[in-house]
Amino acid sequence: MFDAHKSKSSDKNPFEELAVVYVLYFDETHGHTPILIYPDDRYKNDKKFMRPIKYHPIWFLGGGSNALDHIDLEYKGYTFFGKKFLTKSKRIKRRAGLEDETPETIVIILSLPNKLEVFGDDLIQDLTKKIESEFGDNLFEIIESEIASSSLIKSPKIYKIIEKGDPIKNKLLKTIDDACKDFFRNAVKDLDTSSIKMQKAIAYLALKGMDISHIDSSNYKDSFSNIKLFDPTEKNNINVLDINIFSIKQITLSENSSEIEILVKNNTDKEINGIIVVITHVKEYFEKEIMTENIDVWFPNEELVFISPIFPQIDEYLLFIMKEDSNEKLLSKKVDLNALKKK
Amino acid sequence: MSDNPIIQEDIIIRNYRTSDYKATLEILKDLQKQFDIGLDEQKWKESSGLRQFKPNLKRITLIAEIKSTGEIVSMGMLEAVKNNIGQYIGYLNNWVTKKGFIGKGVGKILADKAIQILQSWGCENVRINMAYEGDRKLIDVFSHLGFQPIIIVLEKKFNKNE
Repeated sequence: MFDAHKSKSSDKNPFEELAVVYVLYFDETHGHTPILIYPDDRYKNDKKFMRPIKYHPIWFLGGGSNALDHIDLEYKGYTFFGKKFLTKSKRIKRRAGLEDETPETIVIILSLPNKLEVFGDDLIQDLTKKIESEFGDNLFEIIESEIASSSLIKSPKIYKIIEKGDPIKNKLLKTIDDACKDFFRNAVKDLDTSSIKMQKAIAYLALKGMDISHIDSSNYKDSFSNIKLFDPTEKNNINVLDINIFSIKQITLSENSSEIEILVKNNTDKEINGIIVVITHVKEYFEKEIMTENIDVWFPNEELVFISPIFPQIDEYLLFIMKEDSNEKLLSKKVDLNALKKK
Repeated sequence: MSDNPIIQEDIIIRNYRTSDYKATLEILKDLQKQFDIGLDEQKWKESSGLRQFKPNLKRITLIAEIKSTGEIVSMGMLEAVKNNIGQYIGYLNNWVTKKGFIGKGVGKILADKAIQILQSWGCENVRINMAYEGDRKLIDVFSHLGFQPIIIVLEKKFNKNE
């Protein structure tokens, strides 16, 4: 059975730094209290780490936040997506006026790096739906078990409560783990409209320290993703004649160095239709698109000028020319401003 | 040269090529003499008239060439600029016809083509920048094409030594 407590630091969870899921409840004596943190529980009591969680605006929203999909908080490069719901309870409450049946207030917070926040909407919905439907009736037992675990003197009755709650907690952790794996596998697959994007996904994961060696083997079925590395020996359907369809004739910096001008030529005697030209720059592992131009008709031997603004602190830009229908890459060129300035 | 009007079949309307550089420079110099369009010869480069693409802007220079002789007799630049509310506005700028060909309909053929292109780019409307002290007749000519004067643009030139 999956058990987060058994995980060693050497067995680095692949989703650490990608997604962190907090399942919390409102404790009548201690306030906002975590039930579990996926993938790693160790910072549960770290005040600094838990600051955005404890003061997330989701707590100040009425129970059953159906009016709003979820509440987001941006904090230090991460987006914290919060969702709240009420569940059944039979737990004896520790505040006057509350009955055993008073529902538990459950908050689920998902944190993603800002660069991945595009996944937040779907993943928080997915997680909430699974947790609410599969554990809605049992969450109070995990809460009871957590409260029991923190008591200094443990009677046989308390041990019994812990024994009852722990397996449910482990099952919950396993459900979150599966949900994240499924989600990211499909997200990467869905977004892989071209092999370039696959490679970018691999590059990002590798940079984040994830072991991707398994995807280089033939047996990658158990991998969290279907992505594969390029095989240089594999022949694609690229027509050799296509390679030189376009060429870069000139790259110049504008006088005040605020723009780059890239002159590209259609080297053929044919009119070429349905071309996309994209200029991007790379920042913190991610490509940011500056401009995308659809060229309906590129006349024979015609030269076109693409002008891109230059951004402070960004010295490298990428130009891609692709077929609109298949996204097949026909030309790519890195533009290094430092090299241009030296000329 | 005959005084007969030039018909569409007599000319080729095409986009600018780098080989048109010298001819277009001469035409622009003439325009500069007449209306001070702010031409800086150093800045009108071989590539300046090519189709250009930059965020929120598309630009093309159209050329009218006499089919029989290959002579460039007219040119004009058109731009589609995205405004603050997301609409593309088309502009016709630096519209020039060589002296011997003025009044023969070349400019109109070129302008018709330009308007077609700007429409295909998704422009909501087309504007022509004209010299303030230009020929009143030109406004009448363009009014036949559906253009009405709507704005006056004021310009202050910066002294480079300031």
